[in-house]
Amino acid sequence: MDNPLDLHERRILVTGAASGIGLATCQLLSRLGGRIVAVDANAEGLACAMASFEGTRHDSKSFDLREVERIPLWMLEVAAAGGALFGVVHAAGLSCIQPARLLEPNRYRDVMLVNTEAALALARGFQNKKVSEPSGGSIVFVSSVMAWAGSPGAAAYGMTKAALIGLAKSLAVELAPKRVRVNCVAPGFVKTPMFDRVSAMWDAEQRTHVESEHPLGLGEPADVANAIAFLLADTGRWITGSVLVVDGGYTAH
Amino acid sequence: MDRSLCTLITGASSGIGRETSIRLSVSRQLILHGRDAARLEETRRLCNNPERHVFWNLELREVDHIEDSLTKLLEQNQLAVEGFVHCAGTLKLLPVRSVERAVVRETMDVNFSSAVEIVRLLIRRKVNEKHLRGIVFVSSTASQFGARGFNVYCASKGALDAFMRALAVELAPGVRVNSVLPGAVRTAMTEGMFNDAETLKRFQSEYPLGLGEPSDIASAVEFLLSEKARWITGQQLVVDGGRTVNITA
Repeated sequence: MDNPLDLHERRILVTGAASGIGLATCQLLSRLGGRIVAVDANAEGLACAMASFEGTRHDSKSFDLREVERIPLWMLEVAAAGGALFGVVHAAGLSCIQPARLLEPNRYRDVMLVNTEAALALARGFQNKKVSEPSGGSIVFVSSVMAWAGSPGAAAYGMTKAALIGLAKSLAVELAPKRVRVNCVAPGFVKTPMFDRVSAMWDAEQRTHVESEHPLGLGEPADVANAIAFLLADTGRWITGSVLVVDGGYTAH
Repeated sequence: MDRSLCTLITGASSGIGRETSIRLSVSRQLILHGRDAARLEETRRLCNNPERHVFWNLELREVDHIEDSLTKLLEQNQLAVEGFVHCAGTLKLLPVRSVERAVVRETMDVNFSSAVEIVRLLIRRKVNEKHLRGIVFVSSTASQFGARGFNVYCASKGALDAFMRALAVELAPGVRVNSVLPGAVRTAMTEGMFNDAETLKRFQSEYPLGLGEPSDIASAVEFLLSEKARWITGQQLVVDGGRTVNITA
């Protein structure tokens, strides 16, 4: 029986590939037969990550997504060198915990650049005929439950993640004639290095509270990777402009 | 007593229910529910390992008969239900002024109350021990948006989704509960709408990816029911070819 999630010979660019959800996504997609273009600003982490992918026909690109203007041209180079892309997963993200009164533009500019503007630039790069496969493709942005939920200090992060949903919806309609689908996953709190950095600022009580807000407990990066693979593969053939929330029940109550 | 674990699919005799049954039959033993025995038999023949699957022949609008009928079925076949997919649905397109009480009752009973009754049974220790793990309701984008003539149908799917979210919280962490919200898929239920060439053309232009196939919905149901979705509960997954984000049509 064929695996419905099969991604054989499909070349997929994944940002934030060196850690957390991006890394778990690369590992899963490589097991499903995909050829990964692993992108991260952290070159050392990227080399380490590559060793954990199944198969050998993958590429790694150390690239700083804050250089938003360069993204479309850079994708053209990536495609010219290694072949057209079937998909893009934008998992790269910066966290930002700052009270709103301190949120001067220079404190959130990088977060907005990497989390949101890079997503738009990636989609613009992808829609170029020389970059994506002629038969169509699939784009997945990693948003967050913080697009709906509020928490003191999360204004900047929430803003950048909510913007991804708005972005995905219009892109979905605009790119549908090219058979390019655009969707979001919205994870709850997942045990990643980013979560460790954020939760290091919490006391025991806050930690227990956050855990208890997830009826199924905290998530694993692989839980989100599974949802991303589902949306990328032909299983998501008729899904576009959707948000798949993967949060252990966090937003259900 | 060791009972064998199976998955119950309502509305298995056609459309999304039939396609979901065929898909899930590869890895699961099924209880195929439907009201038309002949069409149910046809679904079974299309399934993998046809001889494994059990029929449950009942009119779901007879909500009061569900408890007795399903309890006996599980007992007689020594089955326990680990997965429940509610695909059964009825749609009557009527302007609200023409909606009679009987239409309201039938739509709410088949689309919503029967699901409540089945879940109520499946979490009862005496009937199903503690075997239930996953529930997927086939709702509709009509639970989120209005459309002419869909009045009571919208309400029934809205109730189903609200029930889904409440169950997700109440039954966690043992049971995960989610719904799939399809847009317009061509099935026996919707064929009435699409017989009209004008309507069909309008629908096709409103759906950025065109109209859907039952298999598109079956893929989503299969994913949500599987272990790959082990951290997803209380969610509505819209599978509609981009229809509900499209305001250009």
